[in-house]
Order: sequence, then C-alpha cells, then structure tokens
Amino acid sequence: MQKLPKKTVVIVGGGLTAGLAARQLTAKNVEVLVLERGGSHAGSAAATLPGQRDELRWDSHQGLVQDWSIETYTLRHNGNETALPARWMEAFLPGEGLGGAGNHWNGHTWRWSEYDPQIRTRYETRYGKQAIPKDVSLQDWGTTYAELRPYHELFEKLFGLSGKAGNINGVIQPGGNPFEAPRDGDYPQKPLEITESGLVFKATAEKLGYKPFPTPAANSFGAYVNPDGQKLAACQYCGHCERFICEANAKATPQVLLYPMLAERKGFEVRLRCHVLGLIYDEGGKRVTGVRYVDLLNGQEYEQPADVVILGAFTMMNTKLLLTSRIGKPYDPLTQTGVVGKNFCYQASSNMSLFMKDRWFNPFMGAGSAQLCIDEFNNDNFDHAGLGFLGGASISAAVYGSRPIKTRRLPPGTPRWGTEWKRANAEWYAHSMGLNAAGSCYPHRDNYLDLDPTYTDAYGQPLVRMNFDWRGNELAMSKFVTEKMNGIAKAAGADIVGPANPLKAPFDIRVYNTTHITGGTVMGADPATSVVSPRLQHWDAQNLFVVGASVFAHNAGYNPTGPLAAMALRLGDDVASYVDRPRDL
Amino acid sequence: MSEEDHDVEKRRGFLRQLVGAGSALPLAPGLAGTVIADMAVAVAEPAAAETAVQPQAASPVAGYICFGPEEAAFVEALVNIMCPADEFTPNGVDCGLATFIDRQLGGDFGRGAKRYSRGPWLAGKPQHGLQLPLTPEQHFKAGLAAANKASVAKYGKGFDEIAPADANQFLTDVAAGKFEDPRLSLALWFNELVYPLFTQACFADPIYGGNADKVFWKMIGYPGLPATNAVNMIQYRGKPVPQAKDPKSIVDFS
Repeated sequence: MQKLPKKTVVIVGGGLTAGLAARQLTAKNVEVLVLERGGSHAGSAAATLPGQRDELRWDSHQGLVQDWSIETYTLRHNGNETALPARWMEAFLPGEGLGGAGNHWNGHTWRWSEYDPQIRTRYETRYGKQAIPKDVSLQDWGTTYAELRPYHELFEKLFGLSGKAGNINGVIQPGGNPFEAPRDGDYPQKPLEITESGLVFKATAEKLGYKPFPTPAANSFGAYVNPDGQKLAACQYCGHCERFICEANAKATPQVLLYPMLAERKGFEVRLRCHVLGLIYDEGGKRVTGVRYVDLLNGQEYEQPADVVILGAFTMMNTKLLLTSRIGKPYDPLTQTGVVGKNFCYQASSNMSLFMKDRWFNPFMGAGSAQLCIDEFNNDNFDHAGLGFLGGASISAAVYGSRPIKTRRLPPGTPRWGTEWKRANAEWYAHSMGLNAAGSCYPHRDNYLDLDPTYTDAYGQPLVRMNFDWRGNELAMSKFVTEKMNGIAKAAGADIVGPANPLKAPFDIRVYNTTHITGGTVMGADPATSVVSPRLQHWDAQNLFVVGASVFAHNAGYNPTGPLAAMALRLGDDVASYVDRPRDL
Repeated sequence: MSEEDHDVEKRRGFLRQLVGAGSALPLAPGLAGTVIADMAVAVAEPAAAETAVQPQAASPVAGYICFGPEEAAFVEALVNIMCPADEFTPNGVDCGLATFIDRQLGGDFGRGAKRYSRGPWLAGKPQHGLQLPLTPEQHFKAGLAAANKASVAKYGKGFDEIAPADANQFLTDVAAGKFEDPRLSLALWFNELVYPLFTQACFADPIYGGNADKVFWKMIGYPGLPATNAVNMIQYRGKPVPQAKDPKSIVDFS
C-alpha cells in the first residue's frame, strides 16, 4: 500500500458538513483534503435542462443516490431475528458524489427547539424523573443552543434562507413560528410564495387557533449573494427539488455555494472517486494517523496520513468507519454499555390527502420547502402530562412538485387501474393536496447500529446492520399527532378526506420516509454514554472528530440540517484552533 | 368473429406492429400461422408497406428488445386490460406501455442495476423488500410464466386469450394473492414489480417509450417541461394553468 504525503486535515465524505468545516479551516490557512467516493454531477444531465426534469431517472431509479449494489444496509426489527439486506432501499436516500445528499435535499432548514440539546433535563424538570421510560435512552447533548446560535446565524446567511422570523431575541413575531428558538433578526430572504394548498392550510389552521408559518427554506426566494460572494438565483417552483439537482442554482447546496469557492482557496483539495476503507488507529497513543482508501480511478489502495481526521460522511458511514476501525466501544443493548452505534433514530411521519373539487392546487408548481406549517404539537411544545408518550411532530401542507409517477393523490376506494382509475387521476390530480406530520423519534435501547455478521459490501467489508423498529413511544406519538392532523383536514372543507393513518410497525424499507436518520456516534459530556465530546472530538482519539446527524443523541420533529450545519461550522473553527495547539477541546 | 375473438385480435397488436414495421422485421419462426401469412405479404411488398405506414410520433420505435412473441402477447394483453382504450387514452399498447416495459426490462433496470445481489438468500418479511436472486427481467418473465399457468388452470387459456372481464378479474386476484404459485409469489410479482412498471410506463417522460404523445400528462393536466413557474406561481395560483393543456417533454427540448 502506497503511503502518500501527509495532509493537515483529511475529511471523509464530500458533502455539506465537509464543505462547511473546510470553509472555516481554509479561511485560517489550514490545509484540507476531502475524500469523496463519488464523482461530480456538475454539468451532467442531472444538473442541466432538459435531463434534470426526468422523474424516472433521478427519482424512481435514484440516479443521485448511493449505489446499493456496492453498499447497502441490513435490517432486523428485533434482536432475535436474522437481519436481511435492503436489496433496494427506498426508506432513506444517502447521496453519492460531491455535495452528498446536499445535492438532492429539499432545503428545509430548522433551528431546533432551544431546549433540544437539554432534552432529558427538560422532560425530567417538567414532568418528573419518572416521565422518561426506562428503555427510552434520551440524553443531553453536552452543548446548548446558545453555543450554536452564532453558527446558525452564519449558516442561514451562507445558504440565503427564505423564511419568516417567529422569535427575534425573545420577541414573538406575528406570521412566524412562535416556538422558534430566539434569532438575531429576520431570515436573509422573504418566505417563498405561498401555494394554493398553503392558503387552505393557513386559513384552516388559523380558524382552529394555531399559528401557521412558512417553513424556513433553502430554496431561494430571489437573487441572493451570500457573505462569501457566492450567488443563488430565484426559485422557479419547478417541482424538481428533492431527489434532483437544481439546474437554476436556486437551491442552496454545497455544490453551488461551497465547493466552487473552496476550489479557489489555497491548501484545499478534493479527491473524487476515493472510497475510504478505514482509519489507521494508534490505540495506545489514542490518536489516528490517517485513513486508508481505494482510488477508484486505478483500483489501488493508499494510506493517506493526516494530523487530524474528520468523519463527515453520512450517518451510517461515520458509524461504520468507527466500528470497522475498532475505535471506541461498540454498544451492547443487553448490558446497555458501549457507545458506538447507540441512539440510532429516524423520523416518525404520517400523512393524508384532501380532495377539493373547486380548488386548483396545481401541485406541479412547488419547491422543496414550499410549505406552511404549525408547530403546536411538535417536540415538547405542548403539555405531555398524562399522554403516555414524549415528543411530537410538525404538521404541514407541502407542495414538492407532485411529479406524476410518484405523487398522484387518489380518493380511497379508487381502483388501481382501468378507466375508473384514469378518471380519478384526471379528476383529482390538480384538485388534491396533502398534509404531513414529521415527527420526532426518540432513542430506544434496542434501536442501534452494528456490523452485520454475514453480509458484506463490494469492498469486502461488513454492512452496517440496522437494529430498528418503531417502538411504543413513537407509535403513540404518531397516533396523537395524526389525530390532530385529521382535525385540520376535517376543518378544511374538503369534499373527500383520505384516511388518517398513523405510523405503523414494523419499519418498512420499501416506502420513503425521510433521509433523516440520526445517531450512532452521539455527542455528550460523558464518555460512558457518548462517542464524541460536546466539541465533537472523539473520546478515544484526540485528533479524530465526527460531524453530521450521526452525533445527534435524539431526533426531533425537525429536519436535521440546521444543527448539523451549525456544528460543522463550529467544528471548522475548533479544528483550526486544535491544529494550532492540539489538546482536549 | 365473436366479440371475444375480436378482443383477442385487438390485444395482439404486437404482431400487427411487427407487420407494420415492414422492412425492419426480423423473421421469427413459430409465430401463429395467420400472422406469418400477413408478414409474408408485408415482406414481399416492402415498398407498399413503407408507403402505407407512416411513422407515428406516438410510438417512436416499434418492436421489442427483450420480449419473445408469447411474452409480448402477455404484456400487450396486460397493458390493454390495465389501460383500455376509453375517453381518456388509447389502449395501453398504443400508449407505448408495452414498449416502455420492454425497454426497462431490457436495460439497466431489468439487469438489476444498483440492486444488492450478494447472498445468502433468506425469506424476509415484506418490509425487507424483495429478497430474490433474480434480476427484475428474470423475475418479470418467471412471474409472467407462472401467471400464464394460473390462467390456463383457471380459464383453460393463456392470459392473452381470456375475455377482458376475466382478465381484469384475474389481475385483481393475482394482486390480492389468490393465485399463489408454490415457487413464486404472484402477488409480490404483480404489486412490487409489474404495477410500478405500469405506472412508470404511464407517467414517465415519453422519451422512454411510454406515455405516448404525453397522453397521460394531458389526462391529468401535468405540464411537464420546462416548469419554470416563478410567474405562474402568482398568476395562476388557484386557477388552471394553460401549459397543463399542452405538456412538453424532454423530447420537445432536445
């Protein structure tokens, strides 16, 4: 194996977190090498017209998503079962190629609740020590919103968010989210245009006494120049956002706003088509010395030495690399000891359809975050006393574009083919809208990641095994919130209201849920229950850092991008300081 | 010709398309006698056939790349049952649905591109997704053969020869798991492979051979490309969008 010249910082994975950390590092003249397993989509059919508007290629056939033939995940719902590999994964969609999942994301960008990093303390303080069931392993993150707040501010400016502030320095703002964590000021841009279904949702929610607001969006309201001089164009509401690359440069992504700028910076390098196989770990010295990777351009394996390694890959890969490199103690659910793989969480969602003959919803005009939302039943924004569960969900009316292969809402009882099926499609496509509840998923002692004992990837390494199912807390939460969503649906004056089905076990890989899987390398103040410190420094390897949703100790009813981006920016500053003076941060 | 026979004849559009293709026709042995006679005529008079048959925008490239004649007859019957000619669209064959399915199964998708295919192979729960060593093309054809066998057992005829009402009921029963072959789940075959291909054939961009003339997009009012709706968002909020009446596809912008 050839040993290459040492780099100061090597980042595994060329996605959003790597781009943000590299922005901070290179600004302080720290040398950065990013290793990305995929290529670049820039200029390809995926990123240009007319090929970009191909639902079959990019959506149905997952053109921008991880190649499952190379690497997939196995799943078992309980410890007494044999895990089987997802031959074709629909439930969540890790990206491949420079930009990562940031290429095909929808752009929902939340700051989580101010209390989220102290979630255990919050529940115990409000409802008593007994409120959290024994098998729900909620824990505090060891950081605070106040610490991350300046980085949220920075990220939102860099990504030009469109939205309506709900809480400016503690003063609640009409039209915004009253449950929002306090912000310094307005969003960088005005909210996206409201859709017809948004109007229906807004009117209904207000009638019921809720406070609807536009979801903070990384779809650009107008032309925008960020503090780095990088540009976004105005969103065209083309309906090809999630699962697609925005050819109009109107979706804020690492490929638009970070990597082209970084390419011009001294000391920055991206090596595409380099698949990292493992970290080189000096267990006695409690440090890593570099990474091993296969260069896909020549099939050769290389050792890349580094002063600092940052794991910035997708949730599953961050966990896998720690497990295969034997860094940190793997989690054991029987003894509830060990840490790597623990607190693996997902997002507990449900949705329903409304049909209104006289309303033209035109669902093909939409954007990834063209969405009106209420937050009254999310997280701990409501009183959980006596409810028998913790957590909650946002309820929203979104229009992502209703591309016709996947999204045609049909009234219950419609036949699956034939003339009556066509009639229902013709009658309702333009006259239907959806509601969605995007919910929290709290950790459970039996939900965790480890290495599969049987199945391997194309590189001969074990697959990551998901030990996961929807547990009682999430099922009860979903039942409650879905009923609240049904209340909105029934008050909307629809001709037909589709069934309000809460989340059901067992977890099903055949149906897209969200790509928001979290945990596995969680952060915390206690090395006995966390993989990395509150500054994302590995407890067992001082010069190894991990960033991304894999460090989240639970999943809230919000998309993960806001906090993981804030943490990536903070990490860039932290690592620059660490490079100057290596130490426990 | 009885009504039933007439219908069978209609559903054998595959063979008629072969005839229509005229000069490009590879002569496959073993086709039904009457059709061979027709073909002979067509081949004997290629000039006449070429002048008589105008190229149709609706069906850009006739013929199949991965269906044998019997498989084609099955698929044509299937798409014509699932998409009969009516006030909304022409029949499934004329909408290009069989062409779409053929091209998909004959290409990357059919060969299992991006599917994880390492063993061991174990029976899972439905929620694990299909756990089959077969490629989608192999699976499709194995299921097709099993479904045909079930049709013969129940109706005494292959699927493409039974009356439309029976064929419709047959598919309903297959989808509901009423015809389980001991070696292959026909319900999974239909629900997780055939049905998604059918909806893709209807609603994918016509560049893939289905949704001919954007007929399904017109049916629901999906405008297709270019979808630059910044102005439409405001101008047509809550109103019909004119472009939905005349959709455009990738082909129109290529």
